[in-house]
Amino acid sequence: MNLAGLARRNLGRRPIRTSLSILGIGLAVGSALALMSLSHSIQDGMREGINEMGDDLVVMQKGASDIFGGFIPEKTIERVAGIPGVARASGELFMFAPSADDKSVLAQGWSDTSYLWKKVPLREGRVPAPGEHNVAVLGDAASAALGKKLGDDVVILGERFKIIGIANYTTAVNRGVALLPLADLQKISHRPEQVTMVHLNVERGGAPVELKQVKSAIELLGSLSASTANEMLDQDRNFAILDAVSLAISIIAIVMGAIYVLNALVMATQERTREIGIFTAIGWSRQRIMASIVVEGILMCIIGCVLGVALSFLAALAFPYIPAIGHLVSFRPSIRLIVLVLITAFVLCVLGSLFPAWRAVRMLPAEALRRL
Amino acid sequence: MLQERVQNSDAEQPSGSTPLIALRAVSRLYDGGAIAALTNVDLAIEAGDCVAVVGASGSGKSTLVNLLCGIDFPSAGTVMWEGKAVRTQREWARLRRARIGIVFQEFNLIPTLTALENVELALFGRGLSAVRRQTRAAILLERVGLEARMHNLVTTLSGGERQRVAIARAVANEPRLLLADEPTGNLDSASAAIVTDLLFKLREDRDMTIVLVTHDDALAARCARRVRIKDGWIVENVYPTSVAPSIVSEAAS
Repeated sequence: MNLAGLARRNLGRRPIRTSLSILGIGLAVGSALALMSLSHSIQDGMREGINEMGDDLVVMQKGASDIFGGFIPEKTIERVAGIPGVARASGELFMFAPSADDKSVLAQGWSDTSYLWKKVPLREGRVPAPGEHNVAVLGDAASAALGKKLGDDVVILGERFKIIGIANYTTAVNRGVALLPLADLQKISHRPEQVTMVHLNVERGGAPVELKQVKSAIELLGSLSASTANEMLDQDRNFAILDAVSLAISIIAIVMGAIYVLNALVMATQERTREIGIFTAIGWSRQRIMASIVVEGILMCIIGCVLGVALSFLAALAFPYIPAIGHLVSFRPSIRLIVLVLITAFVLCVLGSLFPAWRAVRMLPAEALRRL
Repeated sequence: MLQERVQNSDAEQPSGSTPLIALRAVSRLYDGGAIAALTNVDLAIEAGDCVAVVGASGSGKSTLVNLLCGIDFPSAGTVMWEGKAVRTQREWARLRRARIGIVFQEFNLIPTLTALENVELALFGRGLSAVRRQTRAAILLERVGLEARMHNLVTTLSGGERQRVAIARAVANEPRLLLADEPTGNLDSASAAIVTDLLFKLREDRDMTIVLVTHDDALAARCARRVRIKDGWIVENVYPTSVAPSIVSEAAS
């Protein structure tokens, strides 16, 4: 028998309390992991969605707080396209747009002549013909989420659109889009002759030198900023807020878990005061007694963390059912994130078990032995 | 109130050597001094002594034993081990780990563990491997006649068997001093006889010093020396079968 064996016996002796404590740690770890992963998944999904479009640079209004918040006059697109080194440019009006049954889609409006239409990976149907109105191409996830198929009508921002194509994008964000003629989206969103961003490709495959030159040239146009998808999302205030909120909730969840462990161990240690007196009476050092209590905390923590990771994956199964954004999110917890959450949980569990251990060994052994 | 008090040094057999353990002017007060469990006690125990501590319930016998093994601390005075004052928990823990074994009336075993594991606990911190701890614990349990029950949880053992486990644990580290606080107090007479015989046999085999707290006159009579405590004072400290007691009576209020 060793300290771990002793700790195992003690935990097994109070199965209900031990199970509840482990569940508490598991819930804390699981919710922290799920929340932080959700936040990262939304960001990563958006990043991959933009990359899937094949952009070298994305042009936005200078100072726009987030990806939805920019306002660029449509005529500016021509000026951007005319910059030396720019291979092609296409404006896009981009917004969350409510559809039927409280579901939302990521509505993207492209002009009739946009090169982006040619890059749509159609699963079935077609893209709008020049001058065609009130037609839409849905991503397959949006189509499934809305329960619509080719030829059905879909209501976006109160306007009826006929589904003429279903696209098979690979990223979660693009699978949830509704692609509309730019003029239609401008009309129903009351943003005439405006776009939120300009996608562009740079000549020579976007080599760093060309990218830098084009970026500088775009910024000289005034009130515009050009950045790669990564740079743009890193500056997005919505994501910064989402990150901060996720972090705050995660910290609360983890601290609650630690308090749960602390409470469980304080109670368990109090119940075992007499036992601690026995250990002292047979010559155990304070350090060894403390170690035996801390080992218990660590054991609970390890099991709780494994449970927490499993719970976070289970929670991820429910992500697609989150109203409005469920079909836009894919849950991908990174190893880095899991390790970060587990290390935090582990440190808090060890600290949480040190306190009752320290408290227990301070008692006079004779007094501890008198306890029932 | 009249008290009989013994000058301990007068009661001891002359040996000239440093006592194994000694209390010097030790008092133990509780509740901020309202209760005096022991008052100004001087007691020296020589190596090889067999001391029976007798007295009524609440007289201070258990407090004396607790102070002799450092699981309680004196409010005043000093406890000396081989002539050196022992003052800290760390020093006492070291002594209990290697030099002092304790047997309690209440057995004080860990209920979730087997007899073997309970004995093994006392061998932690001795630098032994888990296998050697187990082997040694098994040998000790064989010596106390529990080889067939060593893998049983202690909660499934009888009172006598539990006390034998406690004795095996107490002698696991071959202590020089064995303190037994009413070791037969919770046992039926048959079990008590077995436990008593075992204690004295172990004492003979290992040449241990033993301090035995008991209400049992027959058990006390098996010890060469008798210390009687009354209301926190030592009122008798004698070698009934060898040296004539030297009892000093004095009035104390």
